[in-house]
Amino acid sequence: MSENRGLIAVVVVLLVALVGLVCVGLGALIYCPQPGSICSGFFGATTTANQNTPSTSPTAVGNQNQSQNQNQNQGQNQNPQPSQGNTAPVGNTLRLPGGSGAGGDPPTLDPAQTSDVESATYIVEIFSGLVSFNKDLKIVPELAEKWDVSNEGKTYTFTLRKDAKFHDGRPVTAQDVKYSLERAADPKTRSTVSPLYLGDIVGFMDKYTGKAQDISGVKVIDNYTVQIDIKAPVTYFLAELAHPTSYVVDKFNVESGDQPWYLKPNGTGPYKLVSWDQGQQIVLEKNPDYYGDPKPSVDRVEYLLGGGSPMTRYENGDLDAVAVSLADIERVSDTNSPLNKELQVVPQLSTSFLVFNTRKPPFDDPKVRLAFAMSIDKNKIVDVVYKKMAEPAKGILPESFPGYNPNQQGIPYDPEGAKKLLAESKYANGLPDIVWNTVGGGGTAAPSTQAIAEMLKDNLGANISIEQTDWATYLSEISGTNVDFQMFDIGWSADYVDPENFFGILFRSDSLNNWSGYNNPEVDKLIDQASLESDLEKRINLYQQAEDLILKDAPVLPLTYGRDYWLTKPYVKGVFYPPLVVERLKYITLEK
Amino acid sequence: MAAYVIRRLLWLPVLLILISLVTFALGIYGPGDPVQVLLGLHARPDIVALVRKQYGFDQPFIVQYLNYMTNALQGNFGVSIVKYPGQSVSALLARRLPITIQLNLMATVWSLPLGVALGIFAALYRKSWLDVFVRALVVLGISLPIIGLMPTLSFAFSRQHVVGPLTIGPFLPVGGWQGMFAPTIVLPAFILGLGVLAVFTRQTRAAMIDVMNQDYVRTARAKGLKEWMVIVRHALRNALIPLITLLGFMIAGLFAGSFLVEAFYGIPGVGQLAYDSLTSREYYIIMAFTLMAAIIYVLINLLIDVVYGFVDPQIRYK
Repeated sequence: MSENRGLIAVVVVLLVALVGLVCVGLGALIYCPQPGSICSGFFGATTTANQNTPSTSPTAVGNQNQSQNQNQNQGQNQNPQPSQGNTAPVGNTLRLPGGSGAGGDPPTLDPAQTSDVESATYIVEIFSGLVSFNKDLKIVPELAEKWDVSNEGKTYTFTLRKDAKFHDGRPVTAQDVKYSLERAADPKTRSTVSPLYLGDIVGFMDKYTGKAQDISGVKVIDNYTVQIDIKAPVTYFLAELAHPTSYVVDKFNVESGDQPWYLKPNGTGPYKLVSWDQGQQIVLEKNPDYYGDPKPSVDRVEYLLGGGSPMTRYENGDLDAVAVSLADIERVSDTNSPLNKELQVVPQLSTSFLVFNTRKPPFDDPKVRLAFAMSIDKNKIVDVVYKKMAEPAKGILPESFPGYNPNQQGIPYDPEGAKKLLAESKYANGLPDIVWNTVGGGGTAAPSTQAIAEMLKDNLGANISIEQTDWATYLSEISGTNVDFQMFDIGWSADYVDPENFFGILFRSDSLNNWSGYNNPEVDKLIDQASLESDLEKRINLYQQAEDLILKDAPVLPLTYGRDYWLTKPYVKGVFYPPLVVERLKYITLEK
Repeated sequence: MAAYVIRRLLWLPVLLILISLVTFALGIYGPGDPVQVLLGLHARPDIVALVRKQYGFDQPFIVQYLNYMTNALQGNFGVSIVKYPGQSVSALLARRLPITIQLNLMATVWSLPLGVALGIFAALYRKSWLDVFVRALVVLGISLPIIGLMPTLSFAFSRQHVVGPLTIGPFLPVGGWQGMFAPTIVLPAFILGLGVLAVFTRQTRAAMIDVMNQDYVRTARAKGLKEWMVIVRHALRNALIPLITLLGFMIAGLFAGSFLVEAFYGIPGVGQLAYDSLTSREYYIIMAFTLMAAIIYVLINLLIDVVYGFVDPQIRYK
């Protein structure tokens, strides 16, 4: 009897194993012969370069399947891969992770809807606007070759280039510019960002709220001349106009009936969209008729969205650049690591703040706020918690931002002074219980949060309990004027490169994003003055005065300035990582 | 039988209405708002209000609900607001469903037969080392958290390792999707299948043990039948029947597991979409996904019950 049992056992196990092997075998037969796959060696795919691709060029395969480059050495990818597929011979391809480096699909490629970094990364390459930022973040002509400012700074007259064309060859005209701006204002477009950047244009908000059919402030003078009137002579108007939301789109493309139209965009930028496989990859090809300077060099850019951890793929040689994730920052910052030579640390236009709700006790008393601010040793936090990976903030504006005051001392770390202030405040007899609301979903709060709470307890005896909320809930709780939180933290990154974007939005008393509820008429006056001041030095001076006043009142405590960490393979030249999304592919060349 | 099926099917609309009402209410009344998430910190409350009006979010709950459901009945499940603004939800789901189905199929194809086989042998060789091994496997399979297992396996198989003078790996791709028969499916299918493997092994073992103690098995043996015939023709058939009901739970489990696995491995399936939609408060995608999952679940369970009715002569539906 038992021998029979044994027999059955063996037979069934063998059957299962056989089925499994058949499946694997089938898979191998189908997949392995493709060059660049992990098992290509077994099935005879050769690794000789074909055509005139020089044999040391680390190119990716031009076929639709993701290439998995065989990698014998750690780090560098040296194996040439034969190109295959039905596109033009590919000798010059750049492989990047999705947009911001985090992978994933961009929500949209519609310029009017650009509200996030992912979308913007592609949109600035496929489309273009009247003006743009160059690699030094200065405003330069793009579709407009020049402009005149008249009427005391309230009228801008743009003259378009005659040689600018859409990707399908149609010349760009003033009517196209008007169409694109009208579209951005159209309630049916449901753009959430256009009012933020174009709201200064006369008549824009009337159309956006449905009160008017057209934007009265945008006029077509002739085929190549557009006139735009703005409500007040704000000096940052061109910076606002450089945002993708104003970029020119082709009316026939948008109204072609395809859903959504931007899957086959007819743009004006240095690169064209070749394909977008949702969740997998986006492929751009250079626009040989691009009118601008420099002309794009890299033929083809593949954004590999799916495929798992970007860091691992970079180290395996499947990506040419990657944004370093928090978990890996320590590893790549180690000067002994070979990755360290490929590292670029890029300051961002962002500052993280601890926000005190000035409407709620105990933070309705500025002495309490200042006491709290003075009890936090930022340098220690950066050293111990962030392992020096962040930059401790002194003032409100981040470094390299126009208006940054290198002499700004900020709020000092002074626990003795803090105790004294607390004793002079309304709550000298005892602070109420304080809840610190932060974003998170994990078991414990971030180490930095915990460290700061500890410092406050040690230095002031403050009883702080930390409450975590998910992002969407957190956002809805802090918006509006009825904020329940006493104390919370945010990171603010600039929409455009101008101090107005920090001061006007965060600290002006009637701003809808003034989370701390800060209300200081003196500061308001300085901000208003600055927004109309055309002399750059005077402007900066006004903003710096405002900064001093704000820091004395401490409605917020600036904690750190943002930084991005990027790794780039050494054969990628001309790459830069601007703190704002600007077109940059056209500056890149691949060294052979 | 027909009457039974029809009665079961009549419950479907009732169920869907209930589920959709609860889900919609949770979305609309719950904290968080998709337009706000879309804009993040840069959302100006007045702009958010205007855009919400465009989407009709300012209308009373019942109006929104009826609008949505009437559209849904005609196949229009709304549009994505945050992740793919303007794109139709049904198109998004339709594009991704085949991928999830393929992934789950591959997960089942290896774990189901193996689970049943292991269960049978554990039962046949009770109190042997095989049984102990299998029971340990079951406990591991059920209790190992996917969230911990995924990065560990990824680290082990998808990175290079320097072992002395050798550099080995990577053996498997980091993630992505290249179709059903590609190396990218190995890790995800393995992880998704672990739960199925564990559950089926355990249930099969229990069912086999139960069946082997039955009188008719003793009768069959007494009749002089060879042991393997006893097992295959009598015991096995009866042991497998209760397993059919497990299939319903298995489908649910696979869908749930898909969320995490697809998100981690970057597989563009329905689970990944649903996972992203939750954090972004994509009401319409969540609604469509929930309705779809409810319909699939109900229909599959009905199918299983009907099949069960045919297979088990003791069950009769009136």
